[in-house]
Amino acid sequence: MLNPISAQSVIDHALSLGADFAELYVERNQLSSIQTLSSKVQSVQSGIDFGIGVRLFYGDKILYGYTNRPDEQELKRIASELAARDLREAVQSTKTFDYRQNTSIHPATRILSKQFDVESKVAYLMAANAAARNESATINQTKGFCLQREQAVEIFNSEGLHVDDTRHYIRAGLSAIAVNDQGEQASGGWNDGGLLGWELSEGLEAENTGREAARQALVNLSAKPCPSGKMPVVIGNGFGGVIFHEACGHLLETTSVAKKASVFHDRMGDMIASPVVSAVDDGTMVNEWGSINLDDEGMPTQRTQLIKDGQLTSFLVDRMGAQRTGYERTGSGRRESYKYAPASRMRNTFIEPGDATLDDMISSIDRGIYASHMGGGSVQPGTGEFNFAVTEGYYVEDGKIQYPIKAATLISTGPEVLKQISMVGTDFSLACGMCGSVSGAVPTTVGQSTLKVDEILVGGNA
Amino acid sequence: MSLSHEADYVMSLLDKAGAEGDLLIDQQSSLALSVKDATLEEHKVSSSQVFGLRVIKDNKAGIAYSEASDDAALKSMVEQALVNATYSETEARERIPASSDETSTDDSLLCPVQETGIEEKIELALQLETGLTEKAWVKNVPYNGLEEVQRESYLYNSAGRTTHSKSRINVAYTYALLEKGEHNVMSGSGQAERLFSNLLPQDLINHVYDSSLALLEGKPVATGHYDVIFDEECQAQVFGAFSTLFSGKAAKDGINPMRDKVGEIITDPRLTISDQPLLTEGLSYHLFDSEGSLTRSVPLITEGRLDSFVHNTVTAAHFNLDTTGNASRGPKSALDVAVHQLNVAAGTDGSNSLLAGEYLELTDLTGTHSGANAVSGDFSFGASGFLCRDGKRVQPVRGVTVAGNFYQMLAKINAVGDKQRWNWERSALMPAIRFADVAISGD
Repeated sequence: MLNPISAQSVIDHALSLGADFAELYVERNQLSSIQTLSSKVQSVQSGIDFGIGVRLFYGDKILYGYTNRPDEQELKRIASELAARDLREAVQSTKTFDYRQNTSIHPATRILSKQFDVESKVAYLMAANAAARNESATINQTKGFCLQREQAVEIFNSEGLHVDDTRHYIRAGLSAIAVNDQGEQASGGWNDGGLLGWELSEGLEAENTGREAARQALVNLSAKPCPSGKMPVVIGNGFGGVIFHEACGHLLETTSVAKKASVFHDRMGDMIASPVVSAVDDGTMVNEWGSINLDDEGMPTQRTQLIKDGQLTSFLVDRMGAQRTGYERTGSGRRESYKYAPASRMRNTFIEPGDATLDDMISSIDRGIYASHMGGGSVQPGTGEFNFAVTEGYYVEDGKIQYPIKAATLISTGPEVLKQISMVGTDFSLACGMCGSVSGAVPTTVGQSTLKVDEILVGGNA
Repeated sequence: MSLSHEADYVMSLLDKAGAEGDLLIDQQSSLALSVKDATLEEHKVSSSQVFGLRVIKDNKAGIAYSEASDDAALKSMVEQALVNATYSETEARERIPASSDETSTDDSLLCPVQETGIEEKIELALQLETGLTEKAWVKNVPYNGLEEVQRESYLYNSAGRTTHSKSRINVAYTYALLEKGEHNVMSGSGQAERLFSNLLPQDLINHVYDSSLALLEGKPVATGHYDVIFDEECQAQVFGAFSTLFSGKAAKDGINPMRDKVGEIITDPRLTISDQPLLTEGLSYHLFDSEGSLTRSVPLITEGRLDSFVHNTVTAAHFNLDTTGNASRGPKSALDVAVHQLNVAAGTDGSNSLLAGEYLELTDLTGTHSGANAVSGDFSFGASGFLCRDGKRVQPVRGVTVAGNFYQMLAKINAVGDKQRWNWERSALMPAIRFADVAISGD
């Protein structure tokens, strides 16, 4: 996408300005989006993003700029403007690029540059809509979506790195809205995705998608106000892993660790969680939504054991994080697009399975909540305070599930909740999400088996 | 090729294809600075542009965009939009507005001349950190900085309508992490101004420090139901999370729970709410919308009665109405609607009645993006603030949740303050509202 001779000239120019490190990130991103409303195609959109990010290091200072123009002179102008206050004699010698062939470990076939597959995607969403409506006459509306993206990147840096990669993302789903006779509304949804092409559809059943979205909407329509207060909570598998993502994952990114803005910044090697907790961030899982071949700094991805039997074993480390903290890079430098400098970010992040069953957990509760499906949340890294929403939940009393609840939020702090996990189940699964942070929104997977937290504050309105 | 030539080229391709359309061109340049340990940690500059095309052919709409502006890229964008349109549902009401007027915003208002040098901007960014680190109990100032964004937006449509808007916003923000014994707290805020010289960094530092310190030793209150007053930031966030309430698009799509209630009383009669896009003090000022329609004041709720939703030409036509000038579309997105500047009229309650007795003043909410369900109105957020009696803060409060149903909450109001306040982003102007009997989970 960018002539290596031009790239070399720009990198050499940056080093001549006294930069310790220089990098070019070239991106061409092709996007296709389909949205449906009931049995109608509401919109079909497509487009191409293209741009180049220029990153310079002067000591621990990051200088970053970008442009849409693949023009050597424009890139040099940006480098000069960025470096204007830091000009000095060159401190690094130039190195010739050594092109490294990247081997994709995430095969994809039905990719955007070959075919848009609009008819097939629309047929899937239509079938899901029909299945949702077949579940109940109270299903009043459905909204479907299918997003496909092909992101080609090329990275050059002053250490002689020249590597490229193409990522194929696909995600599709349906949300359903149920309305009762009083005009009250409730919603439910289901989606799936991965780092692959539309061959994802070969493993999708549109009927299951529609039925699951409708089932959740109907459960929520019948839900009662949620009791509130501190109580034990069983958190469902799959997207329930957002608890770990928010409560701990963000606090292990060197983006906050290096600033000492994480409560875990000085806890390496300590027991920070219950001994039943082992956690991993893994970019190598084949075709998973949060997987990558190499990170956005050109480093091959890896599996990183974050916590082992409750002990903190690793942070998530990008290049600048390594420089600032002294920890080895973990291939975790990620960014939404060329418009962002990379930062340490999660990939597929999950708590490893244990040996408990859902029955074990429910039967151990006198009064509590079973949060079978979770929504999103957020965390304050400096204090570890987090919140996340329950999208489908049940009140539990005397060891039995009683009735569905609505409008529940779980809040606690990362250090506290990690110690309160007492049981981890065997029903491990993963779920897709988008994670927003300093380097934009990146695809991440969360995951876990069903697990029990002995005490957490439940916010409800009963 | 100049922008008008590029637009002419795109329109000529549409004309040849027998289609109509509108082209949005957004150009943006920005500067971002952040500081760590009294030195510049990050310095980011950028410039970018994007072309976004909506075509309508045979009553079907298609969207495509391109960040490249050469002839081949623009031709490919037109072709792709035409292909995309073939898959869309027929929508006879989606037409390009027929106006051929030219309208531009006033640069002296939205983008006044600013001659501030980079050194002065860096100095302010440094001040945001050092001004806090020198204060007691401040352990760290992990997030801080200055951002300056200048944006030019153009609209060209096949009927000859053109609009041009140029605007600038300078944003200063800072977050402090305070630690005292076993207590810690992190909170922050920002300021936004069209002119750098209007930023008041010391005021921002004092505000962030005072509000963080006040919350440092906060603890939960007992679980129960309390009267609640959100501060101006929290209240704008809550109304924003439920903006579907005012959406004509959501009403057309059958998602807005108030879709059949126009003309009915849906809130306490003390609430009068409107969209005021032409308030120049607001930073979401709009002279025209994304279809090129001129904006105006739009009454939404008057004394509790639902007057109208906000509409673009398509949603308005669906309800046999005229557009309210609330079309919203970015170059990469489909046509939608949006409130420009939400305005809740001042009520009649002075501090004596507004702040009488016991209530919770909530100054920080978490999870407003995930804990709100606009379809049902249900919400549950993490919250911090103060337990107050007769206008005096008697206990800092942290580690609680606030939950309820927003649509029902609008009908359970105890008082509406007699003074309006902007949120710091100056997108919403509202008085303090005292909501009655709201569920709080704590100890």
